[in-house]
Amino acid sequence: MSTPTQEPRTALATLRELPQNVWNSIFRNPLPSTDLERASTSFTNFFLHIHPVKVNRNTLRPAYTMGLGLIATFLFVILVFTGVLLMFYYVPSTTQAYDRMLDLRGTVAFGIFLRNMHRWSAHGMVAIVFLHMCRVFFTGGYKKPREFNWVLGVLLLLVTLFLSFTGYLLPWDQLAFWAITVGTSIAGYAPLIGKQMQFVLLGDTTVGQEALLRFYVLHVAVLPSVLVLLMAIHFWRIRKDGGLSRPEKAASPAPDAGVVKLKKIYGLQGFVRGPFTKLGNVPDDSVYSWPNLLMAELFVFVLTISLILVVSLAFNAPLEQPVNVMHPPNPAKAPWYFLGLQELVSYSAFWGGIGIPGLMVAVLFLVPYIDRTTHGVGKWFAKERLLANTIFLTMVILNIIFIVIGTFFRGPNWTFVSPF
Amino acid sequence: MKVAPRSHDKQLLTEDAQMPRRRLLTWLSSFGLFASVILAAVSDWLFFKPRVTYGPNARFAIGKPDDFPPGTRIARDVERVCIVREGNKIAAISTTCTHLGCIVGIADTGFACPCHGSHYDQDGNVTGGPAPKPLPWFQVTLAPNGDIVIDKNSSVDPGTYLTV
Repeated sequence: MSTPTQEPRTALATLRELPQNVWNSIFRNPLPSTDLERASTSFTNFFLHIHPVKVNRNTLRPAYTMGLGLIATFLFVILVFTGVLLMFYYVPSTTQAYDRMLDLRGTVAFGIFLRNMHRWSAHGMVAIVFLHMCRVFFTGGYKKPREFNWVLGVLLLLVTLFLSFTGYLLPWDQLAFWAITVGTSIAGYAPLIGKQMQFVLLGDTTVGQEALLRFYVLHVAVLPSVLVLLMAIHFWRIRKDGGLSRPEKAASPAPDAGVVKLKKIYGLQGFVRGPFTKLGNVPDDSVYSWPNLLMAELFVFVLTISLILVVSLAFNAPLEQPVNVMHPPNPAKAPWYFLGLQELVSYSAFWGGIGIPGLMVAVLFLVPYIDRTTHGVGKWFAKERLLANTIFLTMVILNIIFIVIGTFFRGPNWTFVSPF
Repeated sequence: MKVAPRSHDKQLLTEDAQMPRRRLLTWLSSFGLFASVILAAVSDWLFFKPRVTYGPNARFAIGKPDDFPPGTRIARDVERVCIVREGNKIAAISTTCTHLGCIVGIADTGFACPCHGSHYDQDGNVTGGPAPKPLPWFQVTLAPNGDIVIDKNSSVDPGTYLTV
């Protein structure tokens, strides 16, 4: 191309080609029109290369994954966007926080709408992350080689809960103050370091300015960073473990596989360890990520954001009276996902708040290391997994029962009341 | 059938001789790394544990003994103590529920917590509900100017009164 005798370029030609050159330098490839071009584009594009070039057909079955992991991710994205916008008007001060909540209602354009979106997405994320965990359990997705990704998932659930808990204090209303008083007192029951931990968490002996500042920093900086890091590893390991779990059958090449045509040159990709990397073009039950997976993701995203928008338009996030440190509301209730815990706590502070939840989390972490069987993967409620599924389902139902009791059947002084 | 040349043997020997030294260095540096992790954890803890708190003072004056005539049982919700005066004896009982930190209210039988239904008698002993411990009694002293001073950092045995 470049020869020593090349004619000097005219400035006009350089100028004329400028837009095209800038465009090409950013996007590298023209808009792809074939499978191969699309694969190559997603391989070289920063935002697309999180996807594999091809995914198994089973991964795209809505009835298998229900898109729960995706929904949780998209809810987190919505939470980051709305959360950053809310930060522009929020002040973590005991004298100002509540007024800022009222300002969101009264003076900030779209303020109440953003707060609604943030609150409802947070509720949604807790629920969806929990359901995602149930999906993975009931389809046996935590089995070898995906054990550690399950552990990361449990960590992500805990961080999600802690994010929600720290966000709960920020409006500085009655509900927030007393829920945090109760919540941090539960931490105080931990053996040996309980009282110290409570003191460090609150930065003081009672819930006050220090606690608000600490919870704010945890909520907007520390915990989201931890969550993003864990999420990145979670996703990365999905790829390295050969995609989502699926039945044995779906993993093997199709029986009518034609002639295997080996490529001459293998990219680095060809040598990556894993059960699903193929040398050459081995026909199997997989389809191109673009457009199949991308369209599915777009669909889930549109569904998620539409639902959040509709809910945020229809319902306002609750805001109670401003904090009155002298008069706890009666009953003082935690957010719904902690009400099961609070119900347990009303029987025994140590066992309800530390003992039983700690044991349950420990068991959750150990699930893939206790259940070492390899059958029944990739199928909802597989017959071979009857025992494991029954135990897990019992725990889930017990949890829900306690939450329902705490939410609807507890009145003043935490006495039993009938909602009917 | 010579197996290996002499020089090779020699080299192996020198490698063998180097191994313990390398292992020692590996151990020492691993130990150094481990120690610095511990040090970092301890200093993080020290950083996050405040030396000064900005909340209400744990030691405070509540007024002259004459402000509390015999038979008084007043719950001071701001300071979270209940001032009890029987005859010429004064005591201060905590009104922070020992269960989960709500403020207990004064009831006919003693104290009752609105959050999880714990009940205490007049002296703060648990009579019902999930509370694990009785309400603590705080040290009450008289300041030189005659003020009653309560120190919430030091608790005394239940039934300990200050005679005024």
